[in-house]
Amino acid sequence: MTPLDWVVLGSSVLFIVAYGMWKSRRNATMNEYLLAGQAIPWYAMALSIMATQASAITFISTTGQAYTDGMRFVQFYFGMPLAMILISMTAVPIFHRTKVYTAYEYLERRFDAKTRALVSTIFLIQRGLAVGVALYAPAIVLTVIFGWPDQWTTLIMGTVVVAYTTFGGIKAVTWTDFQQMIVMLIGLIAALIVAVGLLPAEVAFTDALRLAGAAGRFNAVVTSFDWNDRYNVWNGLLGGMFLALAYFGCDQSQVQRYLTGKSVTQSRLSLLFNAVAKIPMQFAILLVGAIVFVFYIFEKPPIVFQQQEMARIEQRAGFAPLAQRFDKAFEARRDGAREFLESGNPLPFQQAHGEMERVRKEAAAGVNDTNYIFLAFVTRYLPAGMVGLILAAIFAAAMSTISAEINSLATVSVVDIYRRFWNPGGIDSHMLAASRIATVFWGAYAVGTASFGRNLGSLIEAVNMLGSLFYGSLLGVFVLAFFFRRVGGNAAFSAVLAGQAVIFALFKFTGISFLWYNVIGSLVVVLVGLALSAAAPQRRAAQHSESA
Amino acid sequence: MKPGDHREPPPLLGTWGRLYTAVVLYLIVIIAAMAVFTKAFNL
Repeated sequence: MTPLDWVVLGSSVLFIVAYGMWKSRRNATMNEYLLAGQAIPWYAMALSIMATQASAITFISTTGQAYTDGMRFVQFYFGMPLAMILISMTAVPIFHRTKVYTAYEYLERRFDAKTRALVSTIFLIQRGLAVGVALYAPAIVLTVIFGWPDQWTTLIMGTVVVAYTTFGGIKAVTWTDFQQMIVMLIGLIAALIVAVGLLPAEVAFTDALRLAGAAGRFNAVVTSFDWNDRYNVWNGLLGGMFLALAYFGCDQSQVQRYLTGKSVTQSRLSLLFNAVAKIPMQFAILLVGAIVFVFYIFEKPPIVFQQQEMARIEQRAGFAPLAQRFDKAFEARRDGAREFLESGNPLPFQQAHGEMERVRKEAAAGVNDTNYIFLAFVTRYLPAGMVGLILAAIFAAAMSTISAEINSLATVSVVDIYRRFWNPGGIDSHMLAASRIATVFWGAYAVGTASFGRNLGSLIEAVNMLGSLFYGSLLGVFVLAFFFRRVGGNAAFSAVLAGQAVIFALFKFTGISFLWYNVIGSLVVVLVGLALSAAAPQRRAAQHSESA
Repeated sequence: MKPGDHREPPPLLGTWGRLYTAVVLYLIVIIAAMAVFTKAFNL
């Protein structure tokens, strides 16, 4: 890090935080604190929704995912536009009409208090687990660059985010998200341009695409179907749609973004903007990873990108012959790449690439360095100033996600649990204070649990898998609420429990891709809910005849 | 019609139905474009 990098990074973070706090300096009521007085324009909501979803994990893990596995992860987002349309048609007008603070508040109006409490608790568990992982991602950044212990980095980052989220509530979250998303987009475009510029002079952009393709990294659309395959077009469209329906339609960290809109139209536009912009953005992030892969065809990569792990591996007996094999394979792959570009014969390149992959697997068995690849590239090869800009983008992504998650956790804790069950008659100023205390509590909780992210491998997969363990049930109960008027509270409550049990069983006992948990879980909830509600009148009739 | 009414038309294309159809068409085009890229470059 040069002084220029520090200036770029520091001024970006300070400006964003100061701007967010200035925009949110007046929060007199709980409605202003939690819903921004429902006066946020659609473009700010749109970028806030996008920023909330795009965490630091998106930058550092998605690029690494493209490096190791190719671009097929983009298919994960194919179902999102369909989900956004369905949410715009259903959830948005209902939530606006009922003037709720949280999605789960609506469940009590539709079913009963226990269903609201159960679903709120599921959200608090799921989002509570995820917020620690989201906070851990930027800790990786600082650990890679400075070698600082991750406990310190999570504490520093957590304190900054909690400070402005507690002070400014959702207005601060939304307006900082807005700025943070702009910084992320600038960082993304800059990273792509610089990565292409760092390729050897004789390698044009289309050559880079050909090389990435020859190594299986340009697999953006996979049409073959496999239940156990995480990423193909069918999983992406159906599984991805269900996951997005649950995330954007039932997860308070997203629902709260579009509840701040002053009208149904404003909220719908913010969602449809994301429907259009998200896939190209993810494609661009993955393309950066693919280009980094091509860069390392001509510049020797480390066997493992995580420095501490690499140092440990170097101490092992038998490392020297592996390193020699790796060096030889690298040279053969580089020469093979040039031959491929000249003659069109990919075989020598592909064989040498296969040998490099084998050596990497042998040397680094049990080590997952996906999250370190992009950072290692940024810190070693990017020019002064650019490192600060990319890091600012990563920190912006991290702060936007964590602040939104903490804010939504605090909202559900206060609105759905504290105000509903402990203090229903509490005055507005008391609830405003309670919301601030809850924000600090969840921030501290995130800092305390962040270190669990250390052993989760690819963090982008970990957070999505974690969400999928709970989202099926959440989605199922909202489908029952919106579309099946005859289903009552008892049936909905039991159906959620049944759906959750089935999802946990799938996770424990099968190898089915996690994207299908959302489909199967929500279907189980709907079917069990319908079956129980169909059986309920018969039971009541039977009980009635027995008592008669 | 009051502001915030869910029947309020979108600022583009006149009706929500048309806007949703446009988004679906966009999705089809973008997947097709990526499929073409995959076919062209992935070996």
